[in-house]
Amino acid sequence: MRKMSSIRQLGTQLALIAVGFFVILPIWGMVRLAFDGSLRGRPTEFRLFPKVWSLEPFLQVLDRPYQTVDFLTLLKNSLLISFGAALIAMVLGMSLAYAFARFRFPGRQTGLFAILLTAVLPPVAFMTPLYILLGLMQIRTTLLGLVIVYAAFAMPFCIWNMRAAFQSVPREVEEAAFLDGANDLKSFLFITLPLALPSVAIAGLIAFLMAYSEFALGWLFVDKADNVTLAMSIYAIVQTQYSSGAQPWSSLGSLAIIMSIPVVIIFLIFQRTLLDRMMFGSIHE
Amino acid sequence: MNKSARTLLYFLVVLLAVGIAYNFRSHAAKTLSIDFDEDDYLRAGQEFAHLIRTSDWRGFLDTNYRPEHPPLAKIIVGLSILSAPEKPLVPDAATTAEPNRYLPRDLVRPARTLNTIFGTLTVLLLALVNPLAGVFLAFHTFTIKYVSQIMLEAFPALTSFLMALTYLQWKKAKSSRVNAWLMASAVFLGLTAASKYLYGVVAIAILVDWYLDAKEETSTRVFLRNTVLWGLLGVVVFFALNPYLWPDPIGRIRESVFYHAGYAASAAEVEDASFPAWQPFYWLFFSPYWWHEGVFPFPFDLIITLFALVGLKRLWTKERLYVLWLSIAMLFLLVWPTKWPQYILVLTVPLSLAAAEGVLVIWQEVLAWWRTPKFRTIYKRKEKLRALPWLVPGLIAFTLLTLIPLIFQIGMSMTDFNTASLRDGFNGGLSRAILGGMAGEQPPQDFDINARSNRVNFTGLNSYPPVMDFLARSGIIFFNVMWTVLSVLLQCALGLGIALLLWQRGVRLGKFWQALFILPWAVPELIGAQMWLNIFITDWGWLDLAAAKYGAESVFGIISQGLADSPSLWLLAFLVPALWYGFPLMMFAASAGLKLIPQDVFDASAMDGASAWQTFRHVTLPLLMPLLIPALIVRGIFAFNQFYLFQAFFYQDATLATLSYNIFNPNSGFGGVSGGQFAVSAVINVITVIILMVFVLLFNRWTGAGKGVTYA
Repeated sequence: MRKMSSIRQLGTQLALIAVGFFVILPIWGMVRLAFDGSLRGRPTEFRLFPKVWSLEPFLQVLDRPYQTVDFLTLLKNSLLISFGAALIAMVLGMSLAYAFARFRFPGRQTGLFAILLTAVLPPVAFMTPLYILLGLMQIRTTLLGLVIVYAAFAMPFCIWNMRAAFQSVPREVEEAAFLDGANDLKSFLFITLPLALPSVAIAGLIAFLMAYSEFALGWLFVDKADNVTLAMSIYAIVQTQYSSGAQPWSSLGSLAIIMSIPVVIIFLIFQRTLLDRMMFGSIHE
Repeated sequence: MNKSARTLLYFLVVLLAVGIAYNFRSHAAKTLSIDFDEDDYLRAGQEFAHLIRTSDWRGFLDTNYRPEHPPLAKIIVGLSILSAPEKPLVPDAATTAEPNRYLPRDLVRPARTLNTIFGTLTVLLLALVNPLAGVFLAFHTFTIKYVSQIMLEAFPALTSFLMALTYLQWKKAKSSRVNAWLMASAVFLGLTAASKYLYGVVAIAILVDWYLDAKEETSTRVFLRNTVLWGLLGVVVFFALNPYLWPDPIGRIRESVFYHAGYAASAAEVEDASFPAWQPFYWLFFSPYWWHEGVFPFPFDLIITLFALVGLKRLWTKERLYVLWLSIAMLFLLVWPTKWPQYILVLTVPLSLAAAEGVLVIWQEVLAWWRTPKFRTIYKRKEKLRALPWLVPGLIAFTLLTLIPLIFQIGMSMTDFNTASLRDGFNGGLSRAILGGMAGEQPPQDFDINARSNRVNFTGLNSYPPVMDFLARSGIIFFNVMWTVLSVLLQCALGLGIALLLWQRGVRLGKFWQALFILPWAVPELIGAQMWLNIFITDWGWLDLAAAKYGAESVFGIISQGLADSPSLWLLAFLVPALWYGFPLMMFAASAGLKLIPQDVFDASAMDGASAWQTFRHVTLPLLMPLLIPALIVRGIFAFNQFYLFQAFFYQDATLATLSYNIFNPNSGFGGVSGGQFAVSAVINVITVIILMVFVLLFNRWTGAGKGVTYA
């Protein structure tokens, strides 16, 4: 094995540093805002570092980030909606995913195509009809309504990924269970599902993240401040900021950081699996 | 089909193409209003006509009205009006002046007619090469428009095509000898250059093609000798047909060249138009159909361009020259600062050829799909029964949550539902209109985007044409496609580049860099968009604040000015965030792929003495493709649906997704179509679903994603 020449090493590192700078730059912009205790409205002068280092923006955001709603309500709404949507999408989609993973039946190809197609639609494609349908059912502005919207949006993707999860469990394991007298349901519940659980959980995680970071559909459906989620409040801060400048931009920064940290950690832990899932299983080795 | 039937069909289609071409062009020549520049070229023609009538041959030495263009095409205008009665000269006007609507009709008619004949001849020639391409060119509305007016396009478009055709004839003989075909090609080069310089790009394409051939076969010396001869003969013909140059060749050439440079840089109308760099592409997706009512039957240009994109590769294998012509001309137009729509006529011939190939590609795909034996899978009854209890609950949920909304959306797209009819819709109006309409109880009504009825009406498919017209006219489909291509290409380049850097043996800190580069991918898109907004937003973004602090002369000031003023640089404020957000996925996909390539392959290529570039081009890249292509398509789908980025920047009509959202949202609005237009948004969504179907088909085809389909 030949080692790299030091000039080549240097060039490589320089290029990587340049890209690293590009990656960090916008993040640093947010950090600089988030820790600046001196901002009362928009930033008015160029600074690489906060003028006054302070945790005040974080404390303020943790107390009352958006209008009269406190942080805990926002967090509660976010978690409730995201968990609810992920759970519905997983539980209701699971049996379909298993059927597509294990059995042959007429219409299978068409079904797979339909699932893949619905998985790549933009959220807006579901928004129009759901807005009207949920309005007809008079639950459009409730949290339940949002849960349904996000579940509808996440379900095809969940089904596609759970199918891959079930497929990766070897059939032989199931067949062994059949020999011991288990039926389909039993072998699914006690053999396949536990074995596939980590991958199924990842599918749910992606559904969770979709709902967690969505704001546009949220703002269309919800009209009460009590039902706002974290992501929605970030967008609202920018919106009100753009027109009035009523709120310090620091809260935008701190809220964005608070919101992203858990997601970033999740991504760092599961990066390989997430990558495979987000590519619809095509990187699978 | 037997041979004679084939020949018959061939000639029938050629006739058809010529018939259509002549019909549309002469109709356009009769009905088009007078456009910019027509008065100038008519005046130039009058001057030449006068010289010929009075046999003032010496006058040719000093006559060339609008000297930025060589005289030949203008002399032809003069010839066309020779038999018409002489009229007073059209008054001299600045290039900025509005088109002169009062040109003498007796002169306009013959001048335009001669151009339509050249335009029809081009179609005839093209149809002989490829009948289908001829039909496409006959339908191409921008081509129809500019070969039917008194512009300088029709003649050089014909001669430049002839130059390419004769060159190809010479090439076919596979001899390095100069023969009559090559001489003819050189003569056409001269004719072309003497009519309009722009069409000379065809000559560049020919030289490139020639060089590529020469590199493989003949020696460089023969290549040099032939090209120099060809070029010299071209120059001689150009000079001979350009009497205006005779008295002072250098000075007058310089005059016209400098005119172009100066014109592009400073002319008021160029600045007023402020076209972005990609405007030539936009023209290819647009059509003058929307400028001139009743002149053109249909805006075909978009369809032709889409077919051409499909057919490029096939055209390359068939005849490389045309693809070179198309791409070199496009490249030139992208770089050239002036971007008038008539310039694209320089490439509509190869464009039509590519479109014809595209049709064949699609046709063959469909045929292959049709002919593949469809295995009638035998489903075991037992297995079907076993699947049933799993299918039913899942299907119910999937149908309720996903399918019903989408089906309902199709229903909604066939009404005129909007905020005004919200109350009626919620009180049974929607089902009345949709179900009643489907059952045939209500005849479909006409649909008008701007009208708002307070009662829901069934419109059937009538709501589609106006919305599609709106989409095509507003250029949003073009922007959406361009956005997808540009952002994905950038992401792929950076991602692949970093993956290759990290893949070298012995790179230090590799793990650290990889972890760092995940960050943009992990940050939710909404927040990433806010981060970039914090940099690019006007006045209080980092960039503008830095510009304010360090002055307009600093790097920041220049970038900030560029983003604010340039008609094309503003796109960077979106492309940079999209690159930031999207490159990690490409990097990971490429890294995963690189790890799978066995080391022996590279040892073998090193043994064969391949250079680093050759190894990458012929070994690494092909082996990577199976993993890169799915990543490209997934990123392509993301980019096509890009919503949060644009929404965060308050750009409400960038992609179909943002447009649909903002047309739907009762609280927002866009352009002439304000918010709360539920039905319009539904139509856009249905169109989006259809486009994404194509993406998914491609994805299925190029990846193993569907391979588990046969049996788990």
